[in-house]
Amino acid sequence: MTTLANLQTLFQRHLLEGDAALAPYLARGGAFLPVYRNAYGARLREIMAGEFPGVAALLGPDRFEATVDVYLADHPSTHRNARWLGRHFTDWLGATDIGRRHPVLVDMAAYEWALSFAFDAADADALPPEVFATVPPDAWPGLTFAFHPSLRLLTLGHDLVDFRKAAAEERDPDNAPTALEKTSGWAVWRDAESLTVQHRPLADDEADGLSALTDGGDFSNLCDRIADHLDASLVAARAAELLGHWVGAGWIVDLGGFTLDAHAD
Amino acid sequence: MTASAKREAGDPASPFGNAQTPFAGFGLGLRVPHYADILDARTGPHPDVDWFEIISENFFEAGGLPRRNLMRVRERYPVAMHGVSLSIGSSDPLDMDYLHRLKTLADLLNPPVLSDHLCWTGAHGLNMHDLLPVPLTEESLKHVAGRVRQVQDILGRRIALENPSSYVAFDCDEMSEWDYLSELTRQADCDLLLDVNNVYVSSVNHDFDAVAYLDGLPADRIKQIHLAGHENNGDHIVDTHDAPVTGVVWTLYGKAVERFGTVPTMIERDGKIPAFDILVAELQTARRLQRGVLHAAPKERAA
Repeated sequence: MTTLANLQTLFQRHLLEGDAALAPYLARGGAFLPVYRNAYGARLREIMAGEFPGVAALLGPDRFEATVDVYLADHPSTHRNARWLGRHFTDWLGATDIGRRHPVLVDMAAYEWALSFAFDAADADALPPEVFATVPPDAWPGLTFAFHPSLRLLTLGHDLVDFRKAAAEERDPDNAPTALEKTSGWAVWRDAESLTVQHRPLADDEADGLSALTDGGDFSNLCDRIADHLDASLVAARAAELLGHWVGAGWIVDLGGFTLDAHAD
Repeated sequence: MTASAKREAGDPASPFGNAQTPFAGFGLGLRVPHYADILDARTGPHPDVDWFEIISENFFEAGGLPRRNLMRVRERYPVAMHGVSLSIGSSDPLDMDYLHRLKTLADLLNPPVLSDHLCWTGAHGLNMHDLLPVPLTEESLKHVAGRVRQVQDILGRRIALENPSSYVAFDCDEMSEWDYLSELTRQADCDLLLDVNNVYVSSVNHDFDAVAYLDGLPADRIKQIHLAGHENNGDHIVDTHDAPVTGVVWTLYGKAVERFGTVPTMIERDGKIPAFDILVAELQTARRLQRGVLHAAPKERAA
């Protein structure tokens, strides 16, 4: 191992684990080496607190800091952009004792990561509604849909919105998040005009239908999922209604499963 | 004609001689709390701010408000790019995905200066999100110079490296930081971003002469200057970017102006960010100081 690589291995081990093996290689005994380790912890905790203010408010500052330290030990950053530091946090939290005992934490982490993701996800032009008129009737069952990169679907068991808003604005929330009678689908996305992040609950058939489509399913799969919730005679009208909502919100950016040119005439 | 003037005019011997966005005067780091002031539709470009500098990585994601605001700022001002994750000194291979994103953004903005730091930010596939010091050895110099050349080939433009603040030095160091940087510009054909605050911070932490540092740098390679505040802890100083520029750094900036002339200069503020007008007023201090130094000492400066 070269001197450069060796020193960097020791330096990094010091930052991550407090390993002291670097000290003999430093001039003047490395008296100010703690500046780096202190800054490492403080910086990454600050980033995580910025991404997950709701989780931080639920846990309180000391427990949040301790939780984040364990998370970072399990998932040190591998990305050049610190913006991705929290990408494993929801799944990680869900597998911890505290996450299992308090599922509201996992819900909040998922919700906050979706908000953060939607904020600067790639841009994409919404599909104009008139494109659907060009789809021939026999192509509809196999029609697939590409969704806006900012759209994230969540399944939440708690009402988080007001609490999270207060936490993000560094206000005391009026109430703790309340558990819902049953879990509910939610959509988080970025509005194409204002570029602000939006969210809304989804009806059960809408959540199931969207999941089918984002998993690569086609229009017939959408109709099958709706049929799990509605009488067969109502499925076609409901599918059209849902597509209208999604197109209006700018969620659909492309169609697949047929070739527009082949049907143009 | 000086060497730098030749390059700006298009030096046929350099692959990076193409004319870039004009760059002069005084700028600020582009920070979110100031967007409303900067993009106020009722006003044009601020008369006392000539350009902005972005943290490159903050705009790597392709969409949303960050990108829209950036392009609005770019319509009004030149935008320099300043990165924190190139990790030019790392023993890891160069991150080609990172460089692709950097190039895409640079091609979009055509920055007058594209800079990062003489540092490493992680090894073994990890990122510490800090500007960590490289040993000042012939071995690391050769390593860094080769990587700078690779990066410049990929980006199709010259980069500038900034002198970092540092809190430790290595027993194996074989040269001063200013000699290292000078040699690096020769070996890699790169430029320098001079952070005057960092020179002062490191001069205290490592007990060297800050003016000797300035005197040791190649004047024709200094393309931009940073100023910032720091935290004095008695026996050491930490580069915090969360306070106004201190008097001793203003004095050192005056020395830098004496030596390097009208290098585009900006103030970095990343914590306890004050109102836009307060930062603009601080920037005016730099403008007045530069004007005063050049008026008092209109002597020929070293190339």
